[in-house]
Amino acid sequence: MSWESSTIILGGIATLAIYSFLFFGENRFYRFFEHLFIGISAGLYAVQPISLFLWGDIIQPMFGLDIVTYPDGTTSKEYNSYFLLYLIPMTIGMLYYFMYSARYSWLSQIAIGIALGAAGGLAFEGFFNEIWPQITGSFKPLVVLDSLGNILVEESINNTLFVLILLIVMNYFFFTFRAQAGPLKRLNTSGRWLMMISFGALFGSTVMARMSLLIERLQFMILEWYPTLWKIFA
Amino acid sequence: MSWDLRNLDRRIMYAVLLLALAIPIGYEFVLPPTRLQNADKMYEVIKNLDLGEKGVVFVAFDWGPSTVAENGPQTELVIEHLMRRRLRFATFSQYYLAAPLLDSVPRKIAERLMAEYPGQTWEYGKDWVNLGYRPGDSIFIQGIPKSTNLAEYFKSDANGISLSQIPLWKHVGGFGDIKLLAQITGLTNTFSTLVQFFKNEKHTPLLVHGCTSIGIPDAYIYLDSNQLNGLLEGIAGAAWYAERLKQEYTERKPDKFLVPFTALGIAHLVLLALILLGNLSVFFGTKRSGGVAR
Repeated sequence: MSWESSTIILGGIATLAIYSFLFFGENRFYRFFEHLFIGISAGLYAVQPISLFLWGDIIQPMFGLDIVTYPDGTTSKEYNSYFLLYLIPMTIGMLYYFMYSARYSWLSQIAIGIALGAAGGLAFEGFFNEIWPQITGSFKPLVVLDSLGNILVEESINNTLFVLILLIVMNYFFFTFRAQAGPLKRLNTSGRWLMMISFGALFGSTVMARMSLLIERLQFMILEWYPTLWKIFA
Repeated sequence: MSWDLRNLDRRIMYAVLLLALAIPIGYEFVLPPTRLQNADKMYEVIKNLDLGEKGVVFVAFDWGPSTVAENGPQTELVIEHLMRRRLRFATFSQYYLAAPLLDSVPRKIAERLMAEYPGQTWEYGKDWVNLGYRPGDSIFIQGIPKSTNLAEYFKSDANGISLSQIPLWKHVGGFGDIKLLAQITGLTNTFSTLVQFFKNEKHTPLLVHGCTSIGIPDAYIYLDSNQLNGLLEGIAGAAWYAERLKQEYTERKPDKFLVPFTALGIAHLVLLALILLGNLSVFFGTKRSGGVAR
């Protein structure tokens, strides 16, 4: 059996194990592969940043390990001692580990403070970069005209609906005073109904995504796994 | 006879669904794809893109095996379109599980195109470059628009070769040379990071996005505010994009994306039928018992 066939067979068995949950509930076959998946995923998460980034982009240039010395004594590039500056943020980052020491845990707060400050600043900038165009994008003309001054009915209805729904839903989240009765109460109810419709759409799209995953697995089982199995055992 | 289907063994429903899906997949039965306006927009963006001498396209593969069903075809189609148009591109990822795909997907497409056009070649380093997995999320992304020399910022490709030695990168300078960013993902946070930070005061590259079905309602917000220039909506978006490619490149071989698209349509019909049956059973069951729905 070739390496490729073995991976296909194993992939099929793992798929059957995970889907066995649907028919037989929690079982040993399912649990074994569930743990296997979590273990592989966690291992990869730990190793990938080291092998794909830290080693090649930080450690190697810092210590000149990526410089090749040719037989004539020349080198592929000059050593750049500026890479040693990486040691400063690395040292600050390592302070995190002092949180395990009762005596020196205050040192970890330096690293946490820096991380919080940087994250806060980035979040502030990011929020405005992302949301501001959406706010200005919601300022839509209720009556849309073409270059000749004729009303574009479809676009006008779309924009009016958009602005109306936006205002109704925003009104639902206005908690300063409670609308007990009257038009505001009815507006709140409409807001809830509109949100229900959007939740329905969200649920529909979630079902679509889950079905796509199932279809991909079925394609694999029917078009790859079963023929491979047949080839081996027939 | 009981009308109430709420106590029906759910395994029967799973079996019905599996059977309904297995038939179109097994027989490779396909239906023509539906035209999707946002996939059309994305197609037109890539079709009309002019990179000039220095320009480059960035393609972010921020997906892994868990969303391969939708993001896999989307990525292959975008890469294929870029290669067919001979648009230079660089792949990178913020998601560690995508690292092997950054290399394998463009190679697979290049091999397919070289078989389709004997005598023509698509080569690593000349037509595309793999910048690899880049951790750091927003801290890493926000550094790109500030860079006036991308070769210095990224330093090397995924194989450790300095970007200054790669032919594709010879004319690429700073952030202004990135003309288009195509991001394919099932992770909405990686997408919003790019929306937030992949721009500066002088330049905002065109942004197109391929998302899983779950991300569609979120992505519409960005389309509406023009922060997004085109969108591939799950497998349906990929199916229509494949159709557009087939219309333009008539010699293109039929691809496999229409089979899952058809199966998805059938799955929807089965689910709708189950929901309808469930509701009818509750309605008639309550009516017969003369009571209130439980």
